Parts: sequence; structure tokens; C-alpha cells
Amino acid sequence: MIPNAARSHVAATLVFLGGLLLVCADAPLWCVGIAAGAAAWRLGIASRRLAEPKPRRGRRFLFGVITAIFVAAVLMSFRTLNGLAAGTALLVLMGALKLLEARTPRDDGIVVGVGLFLLLAAALANQSLWRLPLYLLQLWGAFAAMALIAHANGTFTTRAALRLSARALAMAIPLAALAFVFFPRFGGQFWALERGGLATTGLGDEMSPGSIGTLAVEYDPAFRVQFEGAPPPREALYFRGPVLNSFDGFTWRRERGYFYPREELEPIGPPVRYRITLEPTGRPFLVTLDTVFEPPRRGVYFGHDRQVTAMNDITQPMSYEAVSYLRTRSPQRLSTLGRRYETRLTNDRNPRARALALEMRARAGNDTEYARAVLEWFQRQGLEYTLDPGATSIDSVDTTLFDSKRGFCAHFASAYAMMMRAAGVPARVVTGYLGGELNPMGGYLLVRQSEAHAWTEVWLDGQGWTRIDPTTVVAPERLQRGIFEVFGDSMPASSFVLQRSAWFNKIALAWDGANQWWQQRVVEFNLRSQFELLSKLGFDSPDWRHLGWIFAAALLSWLAWVTLTLRRSVARGKPDRIGRAWLRVTRKLARVAPARAGTEGPYAFAARVAAARPELAGPVQEIALRYARLRFGPPPAREDIETFEREARAFG
Amino acid sequence: MNATVRARFDIGGTLAARLRKPFARWVRRRQGEDHLPATVGRRRVYILPTRAGVAFAALALVMLLAGLNYSNSVATMITFLLAGCELIAMHLTHRNLVGLTLRDIATVDAFAGEHGLLQLTVENSADSPRMGIECETDDSARVALDLPAGGRARADLAVPLTRRGRLRVDRIQLSTKFPFGLFRAWTYVHYDASLLAWPVPRGQREPPAEAASGGQAPSLHRAGDEEWAGLREFRDGDSPRQVAWRAFARGRGLLVKTYESPAAHHRMFDLARVAGADLESRLEQLSAWVVAAHARGERYGLTLGAQTLEPGSGSKHREACLRALALFGEDPP
Repeated sequence: MIPNAARSHVAATLVFLGGLLLVCADAPLWCVGIAAGAAAWRLGIASRRLAEPKPRRGRRFLFGVITAIFVAAVLMSFRTLNGLAAGTALLVLMGALKLLEARTPRDDGIVVGVGLFLLLAAALANQSLWRLPLYLLQLWGAFAAMALIAHANGTFTTRAALRLSARALAMAIPLAALAFVFFPRFGGQFWALERGGLATTGLGDEMSPGSIGTLAVEYDPAFRVQFEGAPPPREALYFRGPVLNSFDGFTWRRERGYFYPREELEPIGPPVRYRITLEPTGRPFLVTLDTVFEPPRRGVYFGHDRQVTAMNDITQPMSYEAVSYLRTRSPQRLSTLGRRYETRLTNDRNPRARALALEMRARAGNDTEYARAVLEWFQRQGLEYTLDPGATSIDSVDTTLFDSKRGFCAHFASAYAMMMRAAGVPARVVTGYLGGELNPMGGYLLVRQSEAHAWTEVWLDGQGWTRIDPTTVVAPERLQRGIFEVFGDSMPASSFVLQRSAWFNKIALAWDGANQWWQQRVVEFNLRSQFELLSKLGFDSPDWRHLGWIFAAALLSWLAWVTLTLRRSVARGKPDRIGRAWLRVTRKLARVAPARAGTEGPYAFAARVAAARPELAGPVQEIALRYARLRFGPPPAREDIETFEREARAFG
Repeated sequence: MNATVRARFDIGGTLAARLRKPFARWVRRRQGEDHLPATVGRRRVYILPTRAGVAFAALALVMLLAGLNYSNSVATMITFLLAGCELIAMHLTHRNLVGLTLRDIATVDAFAGEHGLLQLTVENSADSPRMGIECETDDSARVALDLPAGGRARADLAVPLTRRGRLRVDRIQLSTKFPFGLFRAWTYVHYDASLLAWPVPRGQREPPAEAASGGQAPSLHRAGDEEWAGLREFRDGDSPRQVAWRAFARGRGLLVKTYESPAAHHRMFDLARVAGADLESRLEQLSAWVVAAHARGERYGLTLGAQTLEPGSGSKHREACLRALALFGEDPP
């Protein structure tokens, strides 16, 4: 094997390994193992530590059998060949197989192609900002490898290949940017691959004591909010998520199939306009600030409880604009159906709380007074707000209120809503997020999973659904401060350190700002954003044809730029010092004799000049001879060149 | 320099083969005859994607569809980067050829059935190197050159000589796949170079007897009556047995011992005297005699119909004789 062929094999294998690294989180371990093994084997051969196996008859048959086994294995582990994960696994295995038989430049080229396809798979699975440099690196390596494969023989060096590849990529970046902005994005699904494997996170459609507490230690962003104008005060930042309306004594659930007419609402105070970018959760729930009158986007379900639900689970980041009112009033009475639904309770659970509720309701004059009395009782009871409330029982409300007297927001919300319902007052539990962190770089509010919260909404005649957050009477500080500040000591050490280190927090916020920009401006860029851009550029009713024209113009300008740039760099070598001096002589002679033809040698020229002007023959032949000696003789010394230059200047 | 096995068509099978001839005629009409040194102009460089280039474009298209399908911005952006790089590759491939100069063409003739050499001197006047310049003729193997900035290099194209006579090299093709092998740019230089295929030295007949010639030419062979005539310089074809090794050991260079006979002899090879019906086999017999006579260092002459080469010896004479044999019966150029 020629060493340079080995170089091609190594380059192609490294590109494949790069692609493998990008998808290794999405592909099953056994696929990654097989592929890494094949790559190691190929590298071993290239470095002459292993011997290249001799080509045997039946090799093709063997490869066919292995291919069939691989396909069957993928089919068995994914139950399908369709889908990004299954496709990636198959690609990884086929690439490994190709590595085993890679001999010719064509094989190497195919391996590089697999590396590029793996890059595509990685990009489809993950568009995070931090992976962008990795993707660019992979492209860089792939082009360098292609150059090395195309020039296995000769003096082409690896360094030259890397430089060339970097240059081509750098020159392609303007086109990529222009095309990204102006190439018409016919979105939508031409075909669908199944996506799988995204774990659900965030709030769900049920809440047991302690379920919010597990979210509270998660530092991951849940969503980001950009307010139009000044953001509302911190204590008003109640972001509503799933609304839970059915309680079995232990767990609050969101039950489907309960509908009653949405009550009329009157807004009090000005609207708050904002845009939310939701991280994928694998669940269908959207988050809105307090009360919305309209669903924030099309294609979502807007329930009687003003809960916004998407038709499918949210697996891609999603943004939407919404208008909320922080205070509302409902002049109506709750419908009989609504009242029945929102007071349902199983009768045999939590007997002590139930008895207390009935007794307190009897003492109170109306629902509003009762609600306030229970809140005051919560405050007097000496409840403790803690992330670690200890064990609970099947009668979780009784345990929280009378035995352990410890709880997290979920415990208190659950207990409060239960006590309302027990006294016949309509109530429901709302889960969502409270607060957030204002990012000074991006000018937006970052809400993390740790801000997850639960509170209640109680129907009070004359006011409508009223938010009552029992946690605020137990731990008033929670309204003003984030969960990390309230529970600094009981948080896991890692998130605690992250939170407390000021400079780290600054970097984290800057990085989050960059991510937010990336998410909004790049990842979510689509046909609508393109039309918005066109409107800003002055197109009245932009459609995709305008985009097409702009794209064509951009492509042509880029091509012109590339042509000019590349043409300039092959400029012919300028004449050197000897040539310049000789040119000066011939130009001087052009005044008195026929000009020198482009290809005419010095002697022919001198003879011609001598024929035309015999009196010049001597000096012309002399200087032509000197020029010929310098030019075609042994390499001249620097002094000789300088002498010749002086003579040329003095000539004439 | 590596001669790679000539892969005839880069794009598709028979269609390319069928278009080859009309295309060649069209190019010739378009470009006309060239003179050396020939510099490759912008308008005579032809370029097409290679198979790898087509596959690469298909890959980019699939990526674009996937990116648009999933409204995936990053995949779309990667696609555009790939497409941009492919377009840049096209420019790089094209410019690798534009401005290249074919400075000189020399030929080395050979016997029929062997390979003659077409020696191209290619010059790069640009201030950046040109990698992977491939030179070939319609019949020769492909030879790749790397030219440094402002440098030149020689490509020796081995041209198979199938039959005796003149082989016209109709056109020379310079091509490149630099940098990524995605495109192949090529150009033709039409230059009337020709290679001679000497008749194969073949035949068992006895050469005609030596005739006395007027001159007193020294001979390398000692017959009984010859006398020592001194040393002369070694020439191609001299046998190592006749080398004066003692003189060589004294550092006087390679010399051969010569002897002089009272009357030097020579042989005249005459086509008319070689019997046989087939002209080619008669020429082959003459070729065999010329080669043998030269190897023995004899003086010999050649008569081919009206043309006569006076007796002589040495490499130049041998080549002149073989040349005459090669061209016998050919139309003058």
C-alpha cells in the first residue's frame, strides 16, 4: 500500500469518527461500539500495526450477510427503519461496513459522504448553539479529507488540504448567510419521520405532593419571555401552566372530558404584551402569564379554564405572542355545571381537613370571608415551607396540615383547594412558574424549571376566578426571591455553587442570551420571518417570488465576488528586477526603432534594431548580451543585477 | 510521477462515448491549431462535475429537502455551506487550468510494440502552485504533475506504438480535478507532434557480406591481420568487452580499443535484396540487421528504393537508419 493511500484512509476514517461523535448520543450504544471498532481497525491498518486482510472470494457475499444482520438488528431494536434514530443507527452501521472494505479512493469518498450524512442527522436532532462549532469542524475536516483523497499522489500536503478547506468554507459562509435569509423556506412536512426518545420534562397533567419539588432543583430553562415595554413586578409574574381540576385525596389531575362555558371576563388595568419561547417539554402544555382572553396562536386548544394546550407534544422550541391581563373581574355567576365540576371531592379522604373546612365555612359569612379565614388559619398553623417535607400518607392534606406541618407549594395548594372544595367553594389547582430572572444582555426574562410553582384559583362571586397562593402566607419571601435564594442551603451543591458565584452567573446569563438570540433569530427563522424581513425592506405584499429574486441576485453577486477573488490570486508573476530593467531599455528604444514583439528574444531584437539604426548597433548589442547572460546564464549575483539596472537607467 | 490507469469517462457510459468524437471535432474547429508555447485561455477550459461531484450535489439536495421538511435551520445552513463549497470548488478547478502554459513538446521514438515518449514541459507562471495537473493524449496513460508557483515540470507520456510508421499525436489534453475531485476541468492543445515507430528488429536471415570501402575506418574487431589503432571514446552500443578497463582504472574515462585493418569494411543493407512478399517483414529484417550491426560496431549503409544512407556508424547513424525504415512508404508530413 502506498503511504499516501493510507493517508486518504485515515482522513476518511477521521471524518467518519467525527460524524459518529456528533450522533453518538442519539444512536444505540452497540451501533456506536461496532462503528468505533471498525474505525479503530482501519486506523490500525493505516498505521501498519495491523495487516490488511487479503481479498478473498465470497467477500461480497459475507458483506451482504452482515448487512442483512445489521438491518435486522436495527429493525428489532427500533421496531421500524423509518425515523431519525433508526436511520442514524443504520447509517452508522453501513458506514462501519464501508470502512471494513475501504480500498479505493471511491470507497474513501463514500465514507466521507457517510460522515456528512451523520452531520445532517446530528443537525436534525440538535440545533443548539454550542454544537455549531462542532458542525463547522466536521465540514472543515470533510472537505480536507476530500482534497486528500483526490490528491493521494504527489506533493499535496495535509496542511495544504486543511488550509484549502478552510478557505473554501470561509468563502462559502457569505453565500450560506444570504441563502439562509433569502432562500424561500417552503416549510411543512414533505414526509414525516418519527421522532422519539425525547424525555418529558416540566409540568405535567397531574400533581402529587412532592412532584413540584423534584422540578425545583432543575436549573434548565423552561421558557423565556420578552415583554413589550416594562415587565410587570416580580410578584405578579404568575405563569399559568396546566390547570388541575380533579382530586382523589392525594393527587390532583387534569381530567379530560369536563367542559363548561368559559365565563365572561372584564379586564382591569392595561394589557401586558409579551412573547414566550418555550423549551421543548415532550408535553402539550403552553404557558401564559396570568389571564389570557385569546389563545396565543392558532392550532391550539383553549380550554374553559383558559389553559392553552397544543394538539401535539412540544418537541421543538416553540414561540408565541400573547396578551395578558393581570387583573380581571367576572360579573357573572359560575354556571351550575362549572360549580358542580369544581367542587367535586372524594368524600372518604382527609377527614380532619374536611371537618375543619365545614366548621370554618359555617362560621364565615360568605365564600370570600371563608377563603380569607382559611388563609389566616394556614398562617397561624405554623406551617414550614421546605423542599424536604418528609413522608406523607394517603390522606396527604391531613398529614400536611396537622401532622408534619411541613410542605412545599404543591402541598399547600393541594390542601387549600381541597379545603375550599370541601366547603362547597369552587376551587382548582394551577401549576406553573412564579418569577424568573431578568437577563440584562438579552432584555428578557429567563424562567427556569426551578421556578415551578403551584397555587389555587377560587371562585368568588362578584370577582370570578381569584388567584390565592397559600404558599405566600407560609413563606412570603418566595414572592420576591427565586427558589435558589429561598432554599440556598438545601439545594444540591452543584446548582447552589452555580447560583451563588456572581461571575459564573454573569457568564451563564450572557451565554443564555446568545442562545436565546440563536433560538429566535436562527433556529426559528422561517418563511414568516422572511416575509417580515421583506416588509421591513419595503416590499408591500411580500411573497415567495420576491424572495426568489433576491436570492438569485444574492447568488449572482456572490458568484461575481468569488470569481473576482479567485481571479486576482492567479495574477501572473510580475517581471522581476532584471525583466523590469530590460523592459525599460526596450521602451527607450521603441522611440527610435520598431517596438519589440512580445516573444522576441534579446538577440533578435538587438539585430533588428541594429539593422534599422546602424549607429546604435554597438550599445544595443552590448546591453542585449548582458541581459541574456543575466537571464539565461547561471544565477546572477545581486551586484550584477544592480549594475545592469544602473546601465539600463543610463541607457539611451 | 505516477501514471494512473486511464479511466476513460468520468461521466456516464455510452452517451459520453458517443459524444466524444463530435465534441472533439467541434473543439478543434473552435480553437484551431496551437503554437508553442500555448497558454490555456479562459474560454477553452471545459468543466463538468465528476461522479463524486454529482453524488455530492445529490447529498446536498437531500440535506436541503430534509432541512426544509423539518424547518430545521441548522441543517439548511449546513446545506448552503456545502453548496457554496461546491461552487467554490468549481471555480478553483477552473482556475487551476487557466493560465497554464505548455512550453515545449519533445518526442522519443521507439520500436513498434513499445512505448514512445511524448515529453511535455508545462509551466506555471502564476504566483500560487498548481496541484494535480494531469496530462494525456488520446492514447497515452495519464501523468499527474504538481507545479510550484512560477515553476515548470516535465511530463513523460508513454504512448503505445502499435504499428510501424508515423503516429500523429492529434491533441494533448490537460486536465485537473483539484481541489476536491468534485469537478474535472480539461483543455485541449492541438499541436502537430508525431512519434515514429521503428520496425521491430525481427528476422533470421544472414546479413549481406562486408564489402571493402575506400576509407580507413577503425574497427572494434580484431581479425587476424588487424593492427592496434588506439583508443577512442565510448559510444552507445559499444560492448563492455572492448572497453579499455585499464585506462578507465587510471581515471581516463571510458575508452574503447580500436583496431585498424588495411581496408575497412562495411555492409550495405538494401531493401531490394531482401526477398519476401511482405514489405513489413522485409523492413523488420533490415531493422534487425541495423540493430545487430550497430551492436557490433560495424559500419553499415542502407538503401531503400531511391533513398540511400551512406555507410556510417554510431547512435546517430543508427537512428537515422531506423527513422528511414519507419518512414518508408509513409506520406511525407
